[in-house]
Amino acid sequence: MEKLNSFIAKGFVVFMSIITLFPFVYMILASLMTFQEATSIPPTIFPEVPQFENYSVAMEQAPFAKYFVNTVFVSTVSTIGTLITSILAAFAFVKLEFKGKDMLVLGMAALLMVPYEVTVFTNYQTIAQMNLLDTYSALIIPSLASIFYIFYLKNYLTSVPISYYKAAKVDGCGDLEFIVRILIPLIKPALFTMAILSFISGWNSFLWPILVTNSTDMRLLSNGLSSFATESGTHVHLQMAASTISIVPILIIYLVFRKQIIRGVVKSGVKG
Amino acid sequence: MIKIENLRKVYSDNGYEALKSINLEMNEGELVCLLGPSGCGKTTILNLLAGLLDPTSGDIKFDNDSVINKHPKDRNIGLVFQNYALYPHMTVLQNVMFPLTVGKNKVSKQEAETRAKKYMEITNILELADKKPGNMSGGQQQRVAITRALVQNPKVLLLDEPLSNLDARLRLRIREEIRRLVKEIGITTIFVTHDQEEALSISDRIVIMDSGIVQQFDIPQNLYLEPANLFVAKFMGNPIINLFTAEKNGNNLTTKDFSINLNLLTKDRFKGELNKGKYIVGIRPEYFVLSQSPLFNVAIESVELIGKDAILNFNISGEHVKSITDINEKIQENQTVGFDIDYSKIYIFNEDGTRVY
Repeated sequence: MEKLNSFIAKGFVVFMSIITLFPFVYMILASLMTFQEATSIPPTIFPEVPQFENYSVAMEQAPFAKYFVNTVFVSTVSTIGTLITSILAAFAFVKLEFKGKDMLVLGMAALLMVPYEVTVFTNYQTIAQMNLLDTYSALIIPSLASIFYIFYLKNYLTSVPISYYKAAKVDGCGDLEFIVRILIPLIKPALFTMAILSFISGWNSFLWPILVTNSTDMRLLSNGLSSFATESGTHVHLQMAASTISIVPILIIYLVFRKQIIRGVVKSGVKG
Repeated sequence: MIKIENLRKVYSDNGYEALKSINLEMNEGELVCLLGPSGCGKTTILNLLAGLLDPTSGDIKFDNDSVINKHPKDRNIGLVFQNYALYPHMTVLQNVMFPLTVGKNKVSKQEAETRAKKYMEITNILELADKKPGNMSGGQQQRVAITRALVQNPKVLLLDEPLSNLDARLRLRIREEIRRLVKEIGITTIFVTHDQEEALSISDRIVIMDSGIVQQFDIPQNLYLEPANLFVAKFMGNPIINLFTAEKNGNNLTTKDFSINLNLLTKDRFKGELNKGKYIVGIRPEYFVLSQSPLFNVAIESVELIGKDAILNFNISGEHVKSITDINEKIQENQTVGFDIDYSKIYIFNEDGTRVY
């Protein structure tokens, strides 16, 4: 019985892994196919002859180097911004006493329910009014703070005993000093997870950059992928090649930090 | 040294009146315990002294200077928490140095380390310097926490239930250590606890608190021998004091099964006139004495042996009574024995709990 159970459990894990991994594997396989193979019905799984030149052709289709620089820059700045604003906000919510705190928490929790698409229009209006369209500021400013991460950190911070804060206060430690010297080292795993999730979502953002930018100079990687869609149909094989290249940096980040990511996710029960 | 005047604290979020009107005065170098059941306001006093809470009204003076409007860091205090609040990502040395490396008291790293090590030597934790708090025993963490509180050379040391996270044997040792240490340094110390044995064993004086009021502020033996009121009499002592409701009839205090002749009581222990009416008589277990010419005879329900003494359980006047006798009396269950009372050691309280004898 126990053997059967463990067999079923393992089978389930394998099944779920296949479902999760198949798109990635197929992306890589398709990036090595000819156009005919990629669009044939029934679909081809393995390319007959791997078409490595797809990669170089794909790279010429759009200024991917520029996109890459843009994406790294925008994702990094907005991640750092999100970290700073979330730490300060979560600290205030958990360790400070001020009037209207409960109302503020409630209001922010309510905002958490508003779908992203609803805020897109008002955000666009704001950015347009500020004459920031087609600039890095337009890409970065809306993602400098995130209610989701504030709540995520807030939960994490409640597990830091209030006596740490009180002890530090009696020792003459200011709030900022406390955050830098005590809080940040203690919540490092959470910050790591947060930074990486935020970086990934910056990396993958598609809708917002395409709305607020017009020039190719300002576009991001994921926008570049749509340039393979032409009037005569989509060059699937080239798109897949470009996609493969665009996820490589994220994969590298994951491989380097996988211990920290998993620790943070396991501890908080949040998945990206 | 420390003077607390008419201190009152009402928590604004739930309107709970934690302290009603507290007046206390503590001397330089004294070790004072704040003792009381949970919710009595003892930790609130500590937090007010530390400046972590603001009082609703009243004043706190250190050396005749009001500290009410001073930030915690300017009050010159050291504070030790029940959970020690050691920063887990820092080594012991870094933890002890921490107060010297932040805020306006910042000193050079070199000096901080020298001063930290000086205090670590006093508290005997030099060899733990490079350990992290997570890898240490409760007793060691405790010592580190006290060292960190002392490193700024404060005038007042505040300890919030510092022993309650330790096991029983360690608690005995550490409490002696704490007393020796604070006496050696000569620092005024306030120690919060709910454990009367702990308070009795280390304090110079004890503040007994209940429901936001100081019930008695006295040297340890007086709390036991001369309780100010019914609460203190009930709180101090183990097994707890036996209480009987009695009515004054003529010259007698009558309970259901026995009565006390007021002429037998010690005259100068009376704190006031006894009028006709109801009273509460308190008799500690050791002041029921076996007697050949007893006040009453009673059958013993059960006997508990505790070392050289035996606790006799019996029922009289509708109360379950515990009395302590020498184990050599060899009293058995169901045996009928005669008891008298040591009249010079009993207490009589009004119904509101104030003591009249």
